Amino acid sequence: MAPLNPYTYIQCPCSDSASLGRPTDLTSPTSADGDEDNTFDPRAPRANFSLYPLEYLLYCEDCHQIRCPRCIAEEIATYYCPSCLFEVPSSNLKSEGNRCTRSCFQCPICIGPLSVTSIETPPPSSTLLSPDHAATPHSTYSLICSYCNWSSTEIGIQFDKPNGIHAQLAKLRNGGASRLTAKERKERRKELSHRGGEAAVAAAAAVAANESSGGQDVDLETQFANLKLFCNSQLADPSAADNGFSSLGDLGFSSPSSLSRIMNLYTGGKLHDPRAKSKLGAMREALAADEGLLESNLNESSLITRLHQSDFLDTASSTQICSQPPNLGEPHLHGASRFNSSLRPVPYLLRTKRSKRCPVCRHIISKPEAKVQTTRFRIRLVAGSYIPSISIRRLNLPGPNGPAAPAILGDLLDPLKPVHFLLTFKNPIFESLKVTLGAPATTPGRFPSKVTVLCPQFDIDANTDVWDEALKDNDRESSSRSRRRAGTESQFQVEVGKIWERGRNWVSIVVEVVPASLKLEAGQDVLKEDEDVLEIPMFVRIEWEVENGGDDATSGPGRDKDQKEKRELAYWCVLGLGRIKQG
Amino acid sequence: MSSKRHSILPAVSAGPKPPVRFSSSITIADSALLTGTNLITISTESVIHPRAKLDSLAGCITIGRRCVVHERTTLGAIGTSGKVTEQAVTLGDYVTVEVAASIEAGNTIIGEGTTVGVGARIGAGAFIGKHCTLTPHTEIRAGEVVPDFTVVYSNGMRRMDKRGVADLKNKGQARQIDVLRRMIPSNPAKFT
Ligand SMILES: [Zn+2]
Ligand SMILES: [Zn+2]
Ligand SMILES: [Zn+2]
Ligand SMILES: [Zn+2]
Repeated sequence: MAPLNPYTYIQCPCSDSASLGRPTDLTSPTSADGDEDNTFDPRAPRANFSLYPLEYLLYCEDCHQIRCPRCIAEEIATYYCPSCLFEVPSSNLKSEGNRCTRSCFQCPICIGPLSVTSIETPPPSSTLLSPDHAATPHSTYSLICSYCNWSSTEIGIQFDKPNGIHAQLAKLRNGGASRLTAKERKERRKELSHRGGEAAVAAAAAVAANESSGGQDVDLETQFANLKLFCNSQLADPSAADNGFSSLGDLGFSSPSSLSRIMNLYTGGKLHDPRAKSKLGAMREALAADEGLLESNLNESSLITRLHQSDFLDTASSTQICSQPPNLGEPHLHGASRFNSSLRPVPYLLRTKRSKRCPVCRHIISKPEAKVQTTRFRIRLVAGSYIPSISIRRLNLPGPNGPAAPAILGDLLDPLKPVHFLLTFKNPIFESLKVTLGAPATTPGRFPSKVTVLCPQFDIDANTDVWDEALKDNDRESSSRSRRRAGTESQFQVEVGKIWERGRNWVSIVVEVVPASLKLEAGQDVLKEDEDVLEIPMFVRIEWEVENGGDDATSGPGRDKDQKEKRELAYWCVLGLGRIKQG
Repeated sequence: MSSKRHSILPAVSAGPKPPVRFSSSITIADSALLTGTNLITISTESVIHPRAKLDSLAGCITIGRRCVVHERTTLGAIGTSGKVTEQAVTLGDYVTVEVAASIEAGNTIIGEGTTVGVGARIGAGAFIGKHCTLTPHTEIRAGEVVPDFTVVYSNGMRRMDKRGVADLKNKGQARQIDVLRRMIPSNPAKFT
């Protein structure tokens, strides 16, 4: 079993429904005095979502409250590419999407970064290259993954220039053919209409045979353009269309007026197009490929035979397919490939830098430096500099029979044998703290261990300047030693109500625990995961005094300048002490 | 206090000095470690880095032309079988064995132009084809056959290298060896 290092998790008070989103009321005590029902159970399923290590927590200076990732409002400060570290203005984001549009790409096979490499040797004629490429002597470029040796030449893509890869790639289809431009599409359509002028209605039946070959290379973009053109022509001239459903008039979804009404909903135009009223009549459906009709190709036998012939590793995983950026030049769904060999390079997704606000008072509590290259923060109020940290150490007292064995972290705890743990509270603030601890006598759960906090109330000195303290007195060292209340001479006797040791800004106290036996009684379920971990919930209440600032509005003329304001903070935390030995 | 820093590693037993057949153009660092009882052959222009370990106890070791064997590699590590074969490890031409890679003995063959990545382990009797790339920390089981141009990556995933840059890579290797020869002081006399 993996050894367990002692840990301290703090429950953010926001998960306490009573104080949801509000700072804890300073007047009404929320402490656990006698209120056994409110004991926090670290094993409750909900506890998983409210416990955080101290390092994850922030602190609002205005509300005097801990803020966890759940009770923080985030704001995006900058978008940037994680590969080239260029900032992307949010206006570009709307027009160009959330991926880097420079030359940053990830390998579609292994997610490694791709680099642009020139292809020195003239590629053999077997690769799918248009003839004009072969004729030009200048070198071409490809994207290469240095980890798995993937190359964009595998999908037949090469670039003429080493920069602006994103724009070049957008124009290329797999295999190296370039995407159709709007103009080319128009020409092709003209060609088609020349070939079969009567295609319109009668074609529908004849379509099947010639469409299965011609329809496959219609890419998404072309299909959409065809369909759009067809719809526009229908809207403009519904009388030319088949008026078979004219009796249904405005009722059908396909009538121009209802269509324009729907479009108006989205475009925010006028509710009724005056022209629409004059033109009643149904639109007909698209019937041919040049009108945007795309037949489903349900015959996937060629794909199936290819799957039969290929290896499992040749097929793309769902993660690989999902990470593929949208490609308008790709064939329609039915022609889309499930093989690795058709995956395209993935432009890097942009990342964000976020600033964090307190949801209650709207004050910023974390704000990163705007420049992408720096990892520093302008404002960052971490909880660690406001509330005491708690570290746990196993304390092995020398027993009556000889000195104790050195305590090893991760040692299993013997059931029903008292063990001592040393909790060290370190004060990060410049005021002295008054700490009150509350812990239930037994841990919650099926195996209650007995817990005794030997010194539940103590003061910690302020976190004063280290050098001040050192220079203040030469015999400071001796005095600090003498502060060990237990006394070195009395053989580290653990005394109730006494501090174990104290230092400049820290205090150690002892907690005695009698771990429960994990023996299962008849009829009890087997031990659940991590049920052998000894976790004790502890309620921490800290009080301190701050000097009332002169600029404070409450400090009237009648008030004493030196008056101090009392502050209080209370929260639950969980101390994970170790695993209990089984059997 | 002695100012000299002592290694905490136990001193390497000198062992028997193996018979060697070196080409005159090889580069072998003084601190390379050659042990075993069988013949070690190193062909033209190959480079053996410092602290590379060649162990011919379980059979002969043959290194082809223009190979680079990096630091802390082990060629001819005695595997679980402990079998002695005539040929322990055979490296083809232009093979690169990167830092801390280990190739077990037992008629293990690495084909021409293959790169064995950092910390990779190749089991006894494995056959690696030509121009393969074994990415760092790849493990090839004993007796496995890896076809030519295979890339083994990401915990044993495999794909084919279709870049067609084998010749370019070989040229690069030759250039790299040119540099290494100037940087690594060679001392073949120590081993003969
Ligand atoms: Zn919270
Ligand atoms: Zn970028
Ligand atoms: Zn890759
Ligand atoms: Zn606040």
